[in-house]
Amino acid sequence: MAEVTLSNVRKSYGAVDIIHGIDLGITDGEFVVLVGPSGCGKSTLLRMVAGLETITGGDVKIGGRVVNDLDPKDRDIAMVFQNYALYPHMTVATNMGFSLEHRGGSKAEIAERVKWAADILGLAPLLDRYPRQLSGGQRQRVAMGRAIVRDPKVFLFDEPLSNLDAKLRVVMRGEIKSLHQRLKTTTIYVTHDQVEAMTMADKIVVLNGGRVEQIGAPLDLYDRPANQFVAGFIGSPSMNFLNGTITPEGFSAPGILLPLPEAEHGHKDRKAVYGIRPEHFFLDENGVPAEIILVEPMGSETQVTMKLGETLATGVFRERVSLSPGATIRVRPDLGNIHLFAADGGQRLN
Amino acid sequence: MAVVQQTARPEARSSSSFWTIARRDSLAGFLFIAPQLIGITLFVLIPLCLVFWYSLHEWNVLANTFTYTGVANYEMLLEDTSLPSVLGATAIFSAGLVIFNLSLALLLAVLLNQKLAGITIFRTMFFSPVVVSLVAWTIVWGFLLQKNGGINGVLLVFGIEGPNWLREPVTAMISVIVVQVFKNVGLNMILFLAALQGVPNELYEAARIDGAPRFKQFRRITLPLISPTILLTSIITIVGSLQVFAQIAVLTQGGPGLTTTVLVYYLYQQAFQFHFFGYGSTLSIVLFAIVAVLTFAQWQMRKRIVFYES
Amino acid sequence: MKAELSPRRQVFLYGLLCVLLIPFVFPTWWMVTSSVKPISDIFAFPPQLVPARYDWTTYSKVFELQPFVKQYWNSAYIAALVTIGTMVVSSMAGYAFARIRFPFANTIFMVVLLGLLIPSEVTIVPLFQMFLKAGMVNTHWPLILVPIFGAPSVFATFVMRQFFIALPVELEEAARVDGLGRFKIFRKIALPLARPALASVAIFTFLHSWNLYLEPIVFLSSADKFTLPQALTQYTDAYGGPMWNIQLAAATLTALPVLIVFIIAQKQFVEGLAHTGLKG
Repeated sequence: MAEVTLSNVRKSYGAVDIIHGIDLGITDGEFVVLVGPSGCGKSTLLRMVAGLETITGGDVKIGGRVVNDLDPKDRDIAMVFQNYALYPHMTVATNMGFSLEHRGGSKAEIAERVKWAADILGLAPLLDRYPRQLSGGQRQRVAMGRAIVRDPKVFLFDEPLSNLDAKLRVVMRGEIKSLHQRLKTTTIYVTHDQVEAMTMADKIVVLNGGRVEQIGAPLDLYDRPANQFVAGFIGSPSMNFLNGTITPEGFSAPGILLPLPEAEHGHKDRKAVYGIRPEHFFLDENGVPAEIILVEPMGSETQVTMKLGETLATGVFRERVSLSPGATIRVRPDLGNIHLFAADGGQRLN
Repeated sequence: MAVVQQTARPEARSSSSFWTIARRDSLAGFLFIAPQLIGITLFVLIPLCLVFWYSLHEWNVLANTFTYTGVANYEMLLEDTSLPSVLGATAIFSAGLVIFNLSLALLLAVLLNQKLAGITIFRTMFFSPVVVSLVAWTIVWGFLLQKNGGINGVLLVFGIEGPNWLREPVTAMISVIVVQVFKNVGLNMILFLAALQGVPNELYEAARIDGAPRFKQFRRITLPLISPTILLTSIITIVGSLQVFAQIAVLTQGGPGLTTTVLVYYLYQQAFQFHFFGYGSTLSIVLFAIVAVLTFAQWQMRKRIVFYES
Repeated sequence: MKAELSPRRQVFLYGLLCVLLIPFVFPTWWMVTSSVKPISDIFAFPPQLVPARYDWTTYSKVFELQPFVKQYWNSAYIAALVTIGTMVVSSMAGYAFARIRFPFANTIFMVVLLGLLIPSEVTIVPLFQMFLKAGMVNTHWPLILVPIFGAPSVFATFVMRQFFIALPVELEEAARVDGLGRFKIFRKIALPLARPALASVAIFTFLHSWNLYLEPIVFLSSADKFTLPQALTQYTDAYGGPMWNIQLAAATLTALPVLIVFIIAQKQFVEGLAHTGLKG
């Protein structure tokens, strides 16, 4: 177990910069999720920590030691790959014990460690099978077993759940989380799925275009996104954005005037983006008018696509809405949960 | 910006040792290819330079003289009265072989791709000549093609008097082509069969629904989809056809006259029977040029004839 | 294409296949049966599809006229060495070209591919001179070294490279994380998984070496050094005409073992060749 520190880490292929100087500190035992859209550099960053990609600039430290020029095998890390990467010509037991074989463990020790890991993951009955004889979820478990037998300093997960169906993904999400709570090993987990990030992470790192957009605890990111990108990326359905101007009367968007908290009236006549999450609208007789475009009942809640002035927005209501498209409802934004971003650059204003 | 450029260079970092991961990988790469690279240098690149060097010399082995004669050997090419018929024979042989080989291979592949019980037994038998020793195969055919051999014997049973196959110009050329095709067509057949099996069945089902008749399905779906394989096999077959030697040496010795003296056989005669190593080297250069031009041409053609590349 | 065929079509197809089969199968049959006919019967009319009389003495003549056992051994051990050597050289080079990033990798690969373009006949004259200088003419060294390291192995390298490119790279990355260095990854992960490709490389290489004809007649001059293809053509009478029955008996001995191995393992043979990076 160890802390991981990235300082000013860069990666470029020829003249193309992929990672633009990332600083990140991960404390011992922390579960950090790197999240971002595809092509944001999150997998590259993880692979640089693993030693599978070379580092163009900056330093990667694991347990206080600079590992830039160390082979993956000398970094004392374990990794779970997106496609599991189980050796097809070896049994489950051999797959799991393979790394120990190359670190000079005795046969008995290896067998004992493999059994320990297999028991944790419920793999004991499958030890003599070959990967092709396993289901997707079982392969996923073997891949995790291969990582934990060694008791490494750091676990690296590269989109490990993306090949599973939706139901199994939820189950495995829970298993990885409880495994971490049990082993308390420092973990870096890459995903493009913000739900995975929210539910699993101690700390989320949102990446975009090879840069860090924001680092923070899941709910901090949700409640106070640092910029418009993070605001739109975290949360599902995603936050509504309306372009307009801050005026003393409120926020003036095309065709509508939206209420603002008193404190924000100071940014007078400033062009800005008004952000509000779908669940922060309330049905209210005194609210602003919205024309219903589409109603999607989910049972526990109702999702409504509506027109606020000239902008399409989504609202999620606990109440059941039984109106048909074309009708008008009145909605009130929750003043405590309004986000204002600069029209240029998208930085948070309030 | 200046800061970015400075730190982006790995050597600017104080922590880097000489043996970075990239450097160790490079070393491993060179060690892995070393045997092949040394071999290619020793047995292909150096000989290629030498053969060019030799071709500029007159080399008399018996008198032990090796004199620089510039392009004299190349001028000799133009004066060599045998060369036009040698090149002609080479062209006829290669063209005949490629056309016959590819069409037969495609026909066999299509037949073997049918749903028939025991089809793999046929596949095995069509392929079997590939594993029969080349000279053994050639000897048997030579035996069959004698004036009083098996083929004429069978023809005579039907009252036909067959020619002396290997001793008449036209039949001699046909014979060497046919012997070579039956020996090796199994390889192309297997490659075509694999390509045919790679064509998704849904395409045929869609074409059937569209009402396309069988031969049209073949022309509009099968052929375009297997065109990469056709190109590949035609390159392999053409280059292979230029290398034919054993069959000629065993069956006809280049005869009658020069009708089956292909370039490689002529080269062998000049260099190793008449010991004209200089002129033999010049002929090697000609062979190399032909192969290079053909390969280049086929590569260029790829864009036009290959409809689809995976 | 794959629709069920009507019975009439099936009969037609079987008939067509059987006719087409004649030139592929009949020569082998004719070789074996003629080799046991007395010399007076081999050109008999009408042709005897099944021998009327048997004469086994031709087979003992095969061994009397030439050191045929020695020649058989020459061909066998040369082919075995070349096959094993090529598998080692080409799998290593193919792996490096597919997987390892090193400077000039593409340029070097192009240079190596030149070997595919240059028929060995082009370089036979200088190779002969080089081996003459090295004192290796009339030894088996040229027949062993050139195929393993030279142009003939380039095709094998190409096949191996195509195979390794298609192998999931994550497997090797997992092995790197699991603590293996480059060479161990190659030996423990890549090579075991490359068995199908190695098998077809072995088949190709063996057949190529077994069939070699120009090189032996250029490099070898004494009968006890000869390889089989060369030896077969040496059974001639005083006038240089072929002694047909003896040639056919020797040809049978040469061809039959490989043919039998092929029939036993035909599935691996044929499918191995079809599925190894040779597809377009």
